[in-house]
Amino acid sequence: MGAFTNIKRDLEQIIFRNREQNAIPAMDGAISPNNRLDALPSIGEPIPGADDAAEGPDGALYVSGGRIVYRLAGDGYTNRTVFATFEANVGGLGVHPDGRVLVCVSGRGLAAVDAHGRQTWLRQAEDQPLRCLTGVAAAADGTIFLTDGTTAYEPDDWCRDLMAKNHLGRLLTCRPDLDSPNVLLRDLYYPNGLSITPDGAGLWFTESWKHRVSRTAINGSVLGRPTVVLNNLAGYPARIAPASGGGFWLAMFAVRTHLVEFVLREDEYREAMIRTIPPSRWVAPALATTNHCHEPMQFGSIKALGIEKPWAPPRSYGLIVRIDANGDPIESLHSRVGGRYHGITAVREVAQGLVIVSKGSGRVILAKAGVTS
Amino acid sequence: MSTTVSDFTGFSTRLRSSFSPRLLLSELMLKQWFEPVIPFTVMIALALYFTVTMPDYRTAANISSLMRLYAEFGFVALGMAISLISGGIDLSVGAIFAACNFATLFYLYVLGFPTWGVILATLATGAVIGAANGILIGYLKARPFLTTLVTLIILRASVNLLNERFATVFATTTVDSDAWDYMGEGNVLGVPINAAVLLGVLVFGHILLSRSRYGWHLTAIGASRKAARHAGIRVERMLFATYVISGTLCAAGGVFYAARQNSTDSTTGVGWEFQALTAVVLGGVSLAGGKGTVWRAMIGGLIVFMLTNGLVRMGIPGYVTSAVIGLILLAAVGIDVKWSKNRGKVAQKIYVNPAQLTLSPAPSIEAGSGSPYAHNDRLVNAQAIGLDQIEGPEDVILDRQDRVYGSTRDGNIIRFSGPNFEQREVFAHIGGRPLGMQFDKDENLIVAVAGMGVYGIKPDGAVFKVTDETNRTWYKLNDDSRLRMADDLDIAPDGKIYFSDCTTRYEMTTNTLDVMEGRPNGRLVCYDPATKKTSTVLNHFYFPNGICVSHDGQSVLIASTSLCKVFRYWIEGPRKGSLEILIDDLPGLADNINRASDGNYWLALVGIRSPAFDLAMRNPGLRLRMVKQVPIDEWLAPGMNHGCVLKFTEQGEVLGSWWDPSGISHSTLTSMREHKGYLYLGGLENNRIGRIKLEGVDEAWTGYEAYWGSKRRDRH
Repeated sequence: MGAFTNIKRDLEQIIFRNREQNAIPAMDGAISPNNRLDALPSIGEPIPGADDAAEGPDGALYVSGGRIVYRLAGDGYTNRTVFATFEANVGGLGVHPDGRVLVCVSGRGLAAVDAHGRQTWLRQAEDQPLRCLTGVAAAADGTIFLTDGTTAYEPDDWCRDLMAKNHLGRLLTCRPDLDSPNVLLRDLYYPNGLSITPDGAGLWFTESWKHRVSRTAINGSVLGRPTVVLNNLAGYPARIAPASGGGFWLAMFAVRTHLVEFVLREDEYREAMIRTIPPSRWVAPALATTNHCHEPMQFGSIKALGIEKPWAPPRSYGLIVRIDANGDPIESLHSRVGGRYHGITAVREVAQGLVIVSKGSGRVILAKAGVTS
Repeated sequence: MSTTVSDFTGFSTRLRSSFSPRLLLSELMLKQWFEPVIPFTVMIALALYFTVTMPDYRTAANISSLMRLYAEFGFVALGMAISLISGGIDLSVGAIFAACNFATLFYLYVLGFPTWGVILATLATGAVIGAANGILIGYLKARPFLTTLVTLIILRASVNLLNERFATVFATTTVDSDAWDYMGEGNVLGVPINAAVLLGVLVFGHILLSRSRYGWHLTAIGASRKAARHAGIRVERMLFATYVISGTLCAAGGVFYAARQNSTDSTTGVGWEFQALTAVVLGGVSLAGGKGTVWRAMIGGLIVFMLTNGLVRMGIPGYVTSAVIGLILLAAVGIDVKWSKNRGKVAQKIYVNPAQLTLSPAPSIEAGSGSPYAHNDRLVNAQAIGLDQIEGPEDVILDRQDRVYGSTRDGNIIRFSGPNFEQREVFAHIGGRPLGMQFDKDENLIVAVAGMGVYGIKPDGAVFKVTDETNRTWYKLNDDSRLRMADDLDIAPDGKIYFSDCTTRYEMTTNTLDVMEGRPNGRLVCYDPATKKTSTVLNHFYFPNGICVSHDGQSVLIASTSLCKVFRYWIEGPRKGSLEILIDDLPGLADNINRASDGNYWLALVGIRSPAFDLAMRNPGLRLRMVKQVPIDEWLAPGMNHGCVLKFTEQGEVLGSWWDPSGISHSTLTSMREHKGYLYLGGLENNRIGRIKLEGVDEAWTGYEAYWGSKRRDRH
C-alpha cells in the first residue's frame, strides 16, 4: 500500500466524515448497556450451534442447532424432541402458513418439512446454488422469501465474507411449492434475516456488513423499492422479528469495535491476516470469546485487580434491541463482556414470551411475558 | 517487506534501529532551541546571497559600515522585543527614538551639555517617556496597543513641531568634541562603537531575561498575566519597568543616531515601530507574549535590516521595500500564531514512530503439543495471599523472616507477615510506581521505581535514594540523563546494582506506546556503590525488563519484552562486555527473571504473542495508523489475561511452564520468587500475591541465602 493510498484514505476520512466506518455510534439512550439479558433463564441443556427459532401453528417452538431441528413444546418449552436431521448445519427457520417448517441448510438450500417429515427442496436459483441461506419467511399468501448471505461462502464462514468485504448477498422469492425461484435483490451486504411486517404489506431485512435494516413493500412476489429503516447500527444485525405493539425486535450477533473497523480499512494487514492466520485468531467479531491467549486482545481488556471489565472492548457480545414503529430504539437487553449469552442470532415473540437464541453459548433463552416492557 | 531476523546483539544494529527521520524531527520540534533555527537559517542565507550577488559585500569596510547602520535599529528592535515578551506591545519605539534623537541634539547644541551629560540626559528622557507608557499600561491598566499608539502620535507631532523650530539652530551650530565624534564614528577593537555597545547590552539583556528574577517574572507575566499575579508577582511594577527599559533602549539608539547624523528631520524613525515589530516576530518572539530571547530579536532585526539595505542597494524603490517588509510581517505573524499554537501538537502527532519488528516464529503453547510451553493449569489454584488487599504487586520478594513484600501501583511496598500472611502493613511509601526489588547484603530492600529511579528501604522502613540519573548520551536529542522507567534490578556479588530503564521515550503511563513503537529505546544501567556513580552499560536496548545476575555472578540475564527474548550480558570473565542471545523464541513478552533453587531460572511472561499481534509487529505503518486512529483502549495488544511462568537452564533451554491459561487467578503475571519450597507470584494488575508448592526442591533455599549466604553458587 503506497503512501498515496494512505493520503487518499485520510482525505476521504476528512471529506466524508459521516461515513459510518468513521463513526461507530455510542451505545446510549435506549441502547445503554445493562445486564438484563444475562439475568434471563435458558431453556434446558445447551443446543450446540443454536441458530434460529420459529413458532409452529401448534404453539411448539422449532429451534435449529447443529444438524438438527428440535421441537420444543410444553410449559416453558422444556419438552425437547428431534424434529428433523440434515446432512449439514441448519440455520434460519420459518413456518409456512400451511404448517410446513422451512429450514435453511448450510451449503444445500431450503428444505420444507411437513408434519410427516417429508422434505421438499429448493437448491439453486438462476444456476447458482443456495449455499448460504440465512433466513426464510413466508407471506400470508404462501409466497416464500429468502435471504442468501453470500454466494462465496457457507454460513459458518461468515467471518471470511466480512473480512473479504464482500457484498454478494441476495434476496430471493419462490412459490409455496419451492418452485420458480426468483432473485429480487442482489449485491447485498450479507443479508442475515428477514421478516414479513405484521400488516403483510412489507418485508424487513437486515444487512450485517452494512449494519442496517431495510424495509420494502411486497405485493405477491413483487418487491417495492427498499428504504433504509435503521442505519449505522452499533452492531452486526442478524434476525429480525415483529414486536407486539408495532415495530420489531432485532438480534445483533456482535457489536462493532474500533479495532475491527480499523482492520477493515487496512487492506494489506487484512489480506496478510486472511492468508496466514486461522479465522478463529483474526481481528474480527466473534460469536463467543474463548479467552485463549492467541485470540487478539485489546489493551482495554486487561483484567484490572482480577476484574474482567464489562466495558472492555468486546470481541463477542450479546444484544437485542426493540425498535418502535417509527424506527427508534426503545429498549435493549445486553450481555456484556464476561456475560453469559453472547452471539445472539435470533429473537422472536412467541406465545410464552420472548425467545432469544444465543449461538455463542448454544443457549435458547426464554423471557416470560412481563420481563420486557 | 523484509523478513530477515536481525541479530540484536550488535550495538550498531540497535543504534540504526533507534533512528528514523520522523523520530528525529519530532524530538527536534520539542526542543526550545529549535524555534529560532528557521529564522537563523534565513539570516545566513540572506547574508550569503548578498555576499555572492553584490561585489564588495564581504569587505571589512562594508561589514563595519553595515554594523554601524544596523546598531541603532537593533536597540529599537530590542525595546520592541521586551515589550512583546511582557505580553504587550510598544508602538511608540520609533517615535521615542526620533524624540531622543532630537533631545540629544537639543541638549548638545542648545543647552551645551558635555557629551556624558547629553548621553545621561537623553537616556533619562527616553526613560521618562517610557515611564509615561508604563504608568498608563502598568498602573492604570490601559491597553498597550492603544496607549503606545497615542504616545506615538503625540511624540511624532511634537518632534515635528520642535524640528521645525530648531532645525536651523542644529544646522548652523557645531560642537568640537572628540568624545562626541567618537560616539558617532569611533570603533572598539575594530567594531563600531554603537554595535559594540549593542552587543554589550545584548549579553546583559540575555542574562537578565534568562537568568534573573526580573526575566523570569517578565516571561511569566507575558505567558499569563493572571497566573503571574496569583503567583505573587507584582505585575504593575514589572510592566512599568518594562516600558521604562524599552524607552531607554530607544533613547540609546537615538543618541548614537544623533551622534552619527548630527541632524534631525521629519522622517527620522518613521515606520521603525513597524519594522521592529516585523523583525522581532520574524525572529521568533511571540506576539502572544511570554516567549522570546534577545537573540531571536536580533536575528529578526538583522534579516529585516539586510533585506531593506540590500533592496535599496539593488536600486529597488523604497515603497516596494516597504511592501516586501509588510508581506514578511504578515507571513511571520501568521506562522507565529499557527506555530506556537500547534508545535506541541505536531510534535506529539509524529512522536510515535513504529519500526518493523520481525520476531522468531512462536513455539506452540497448545495443551498436548509436547512443547515445554504447553498450556496447563498449575497456577489456577494458587493459594492467594492478601486477596484484595494489594493493588498490582509487579514484583514480590521474601526476606529472611519469611515475610513477603509486594511493590504496588499506589507507590507502596506492602508487607504480609504471620504464619498465613494475614498481617498486612505498608512497609514503606516511596511514590512513583515501584517495580523490581532485591535485597542487598545489608538487607536493605533496593527497589526500581518507574518515574523516580532506584531507591532503597532500610530494614526499619526508612527510604533513601540510590540513584535517579545516569550519564547522558551525547548524540541523543532527548535528554536521557534522568531515569524514566526503572523496571527491574539485581545486585552482583561486588554490590553493583544492575537495572533496566525500559524506555527513555515514554513513561509508566504510556509504556504501551513503547511496545507499539518496537524500537530499542531502553537501556541497562549500573550503579556502583563504591564510587556512587551511575552509568549506562547497554544503550539502545529493546524494552529491557527483567534483570537477574547469573548464579555464578559472571553475567546478567536481561529479558527483552518487545523482542520476546532473553539476553546474557557478561560482566566478568573472559567474555566481559559482550552480549549474546540466550533464548530466542519465547512465545510471549518476557518480564521478570529470578534464580531458582536448582541452579536454573524462573521467567514470567506478561503477554503472549497472538498471531494477529505478531503480524502487526511486522507492519509498522499499521501500528502508526492504529495509534492515531484508534482509541488507546482499543489497540491491539498481546494476550495479557493469563499467567505464565517458565523455568529455563543456564544454557537457555526451557524446561517447563506453569500456566493459568485464562487468568482466573493470575492475569498479567509479571514476577515469581522461589522461597523455601514455594513459588510466590506477583502481577502488574492483579489483586493478590499467589503461591504454589514446588515439589522436589531444596526447601531451605531462599533468595537471600542464594545471593549473600550459604546457598551461593558463585564460589565453591
